[in-house]
Amino acid sequence: MPKLTIDGREVEVAQGTNLIEAARLAGIAIPYFCYHPYLSVVGQCRICLVEIEGQPRLAIACATPAADGMVVRSQTSSRVREAREAVMEFLLANHPLDCPVCDQAGECLLQDHSMDEQGGQFSTHMVETRRTFPGLERRLLGPHVVQNQNRCIHCSRCIRFTQEISETSQLTYVSRGNHAYIDTFDGRPFDDPFSACAADVCPVGALTLREFRFRKRAWKLRSTPSICPGCSIGCNLWIDHHERIVYRFTPRENPKINATWLCDYGRFLAESLNAHGPAPTFRDEDGSSSSPPLEETVRALALELKAARTLRVVASANLSNEELFLAREIFAGYLHGELVTPVWPGEPRRMKNGHGVWLASSDAHPNANGARRLGLDIVDESGLARFLYGAADLTVLLDPLAHPYLAGEEALQLLRVGHTLVFSQRQHAVCEFARWTMGVASLACNEGTFTSGADQVQRFQAAFAPPRGALPLWQWFTLLARELGLARLAVATPRDVFQLMVSQERSFAGLAWEELGGFDTDSYREHQHVG
Amino acid sequence: MEPTLLKARGLEGSRTLASYLSRGGYEGLRRALALGPQEVTKSVIDSELRGRGGAGFPTGRKWTFVPKDHPGPRYLVCNADESEPGTFKDREIIEHDPHLVIEGIAIASFAIGAHTAYIYIRGEFVRWANLLEQALGEARREKILGADVLGSGYSLDIWVHRGAGAYICGEETSLLESLEGKRGFPRLKPPFPAVVGAFGKPTVVNNVETLACLPSILTRGPAWFASIGRPRNTGPKLFSVSGHVVRPGVYELPLGVTFREIIFEHCGGIRAGRKLKAFFPGGSSAPVLTAAEVDTKADFDACAEAGTMLGSGGVIVLDETVDMVEAAANLAHFYAHESCGQCTPCREGSDWLVDILHRILAGHGRAEDPDTILRICRFASQGMTICPLGDAFSLPISSIVSKFRDEFERRIAAATPAPPRKHPVLPWAGPRPGFGR
Repeated sequence: MPKLTIDGREVEVAQGTNLIEAARLAGIAIPYFCYHPYLSVVGQCRICLVEIEGQPRLAIACATPAADGMVVRSQTSSRVREAREAVMEFLLANHPLDCPVCDQAGECLLQDHSMDEQGGQFSTHMVETRRTFPGLERRLLGPHVVQNQNRCIHCSRCIRFTQEISETSQLTYVSRGNHAYIDTFDGRPFDDPFSACAADVCPVGALTLREFRFRKRAWKLRSTPSICPGCSIGCNLWIDHHERIVYRFTPRENPKINATWLCDYGRFLAESLNAHGPAPTFRDEDGSSSSPPLEETVRALALELKAARTLRVVASANLSNEELFLAREIFAGYLHGELVTPVWPGEPRRMKNGHGVWLASSDAHPNANGARRLGLDIVDESGLARFLYGAADLTVLLDPLAHPYLAGEEALQLLRVGHTLVFSQRQHAVCEFARWTMGVASLACNEGTFTSGADQVQRFQAAFAPPRGALPLWQWFTLLARELGLARLAVATPRDVFQLMVSQERSFAGLAWEELGGFDTDSYREHQHVG
Repeated sequence: MEPTLLKARGLEGSRTLASYLSRGGYEGLRRALALGPQEVTKSVIDSELRGRGGAGFPTGRKWTFVPKDHPGPRYLVCNADESEPGTFKDREIIEHDPHLVIEGIAIASFAIGAHTAYIYIRGEFVRWANLLEQALGEARREKILGADVLGSGYSLDIWVHRGAGAYICGEETSLLESLEGKRGFPRLKPPFPAVVGAFGKPTVVNNVETLACLPSILTRGPAWFASIGRPRNTGPKLFSVSGHVVRPGVYELPLGVTFREIIFEHCGGIRAGRKLKAFFPGGSSAPVLTAAEVDTKADFDACAEAGTMLGSGGVIVLDETVDMVEAAANLAHFYAHESCGQCTPCREGSDWLVDILHRILAGHGRAEDPDTILRICRFASQGMTICPLGDAFSLPISSIVSKFRDEFERRIAAATPAPPRKHPVLPWAGPRPGFGR
């Protein structure tokens, strides 16, 4: 384990750690553009220069492994400061400096380092006309990524991403020197399933996302840690939101699952988090509908549930462990209903983790493994069809999006027999005839845990409070539990549900709420990754 | 001095194997095969041969960096990507004596234990690539190359690989990238090619002229070689002299002759009775020397002492009619065009220099321009870039500015203010190809 000194601070790091990471451990930020912890080191941008005692020339920190007894100077060396200032001047010589209209502003490494390395002076000797790339200022590279080559600082992160991580090698340099630009081979569309990550790794505004551009300034956004609801892999992400609107997902580092990547499918589910259920509706036999207040709704629901002689419940692998636990306790345990959890394989998804291993999804739900852990009855499409064929007085759908079968003609016909209660996050065909429709707030307002495909229990947090009329499902359940007289389950927070589950379920024994979810990454590193 | 590298020049049919054998060809290889790799390496170390490609690194020492116990294959690459402006010596060797190069490659390959060697030849050298192919065919037919080199049991084959016309591919690591079929981007060092080279295997890259020195070192002995030139700067050297001399061309002279001798004796002095103004001693990447420094000795150490470098030995002679600002602009244009675009200082700096120098030439120089040029050169060199291309333009251009600053200042003093800047077309001024959404 080499022990070295950086700017007077001693730090001991693992063998093979480079100086950027070593300095990070010592609490010193060495600036970088082309370096990325999950991509190969190319040493192109030259901003990470440091002075190493005993070496005549400045060295690049990204490509220099820490060695025992090394004495490194970064901020404390005037030579380093001067060189970095010069590199900044080179980088900005042809950069358009259109920050006011650039969508990357606020999360731009060039902007940040320009503040740091030029001391806010912004002096330049450059008086020539800037190099431009006519025709490449606003070009759609693929379905999601918009290119503005004028802003590019030639760090090659996006190229290396497609070569090393997504393995499509779709992006490349064309031309040479100062006139090199990023393009796809042969001009084909950049339709990599991970294409948006190229915009993530772009440290400047050269690659931006069509879906996010100009919707919100980056500094307005708040980030809440969450888990991708797209498939069983369970990628860690940040929900970026402002004033109770979700604008985007950005990857949250987790070397075991998604490193700093997200697939395009999962990433662009962000928009779906802005739907918070249809308004609670009661539909009478004669077809008239009304929206009673919450307390009345809960009371009526409880009466309806108690009155049913036969009760069947379709749960969902999209629900959190806590919600599934409550559903099992209330509907199967207390009300003696029949409860199944449909699992839909969906499209195969994959993700490369921080060790270069591809993870594959087993189904299209974030929490099928949680349902398995809780011993719920997992059914596939034909099992779900058989389940719905069995007659029942009352059917409760905890999530009509649990399986695409539920939107099909056959399922709708089967559900029309008898009464149906639906908890739904979005308008759905079932809601049109259901006796009761309860609005459920989206993942952005929910809190709880998912069990990933690799059987890791991961926590997600609530970004903001749900709008009027919609409640997170766990809250519907606790309200129902209170109404049904189940004081044990009528707890106040998902954390309480979790504690209850941990104490009761052997499969969750020993887990602690505070330790779930990988919130140990510090924000500096986060920010530099995403660029 | 009796020529060794160019002794075939002027001989009828000198390119054929028969002619080469009649001049004692492949005797060096035969001797090397008898001596064994260690002895060959020792001879080359003793001869004090230094690399002729430009850096002047001791060739024998370079060979010893190849790991001895490496289990997989290792390669020798002959660098024939001669693209340094003002350098045309390797072409001359291949033109007259391709077998000399092949023998040198075979000796070096045997010394480092390589069974495959590549000749990476400049893309424009179509004729010389064909000459090498012909010579290789002859050598293969005569069992000089192949599974059993000269009956020794050592196997070797040599392949010619043509480049695609990039100056940077003469730098050894980008040469290897290009050889592997990739974009010619220089690699970060370490690891050095001797440890991780072509296809991830230990590789030695030697210049054509370096390799061409090997046969005579083995036949005539390292002591003979070391007796030519000066201590630590031994052996014959080819000087490609171009520019305003009476007889430009390639001259084989011992290291350590003075540039005065090269220019005024061998090349017949400056054309049309004009005066010498300046010269580049080792290709355009070497800092310029003025007429006052013409007594500098043409060897590695003496040039380093004079603040320049011998480089490839491409002497570019400029007479008094040359405008040094134009010369600098010409150089800057070349390097901006050839910068690979990886490292920020070189990519941005080279293009920036072109802009400044062209503005001065257009008559719109500014008082601060010489200092700006010097600043750009300072921060694009001395380890600020992955490969030495940053130094290759910074050093000569900064030397021109420092030594001929008065010429810059004269132009700047007569300058008029630049016309209002032409702004690039605003991005929203019209439909653009590929504009989406």
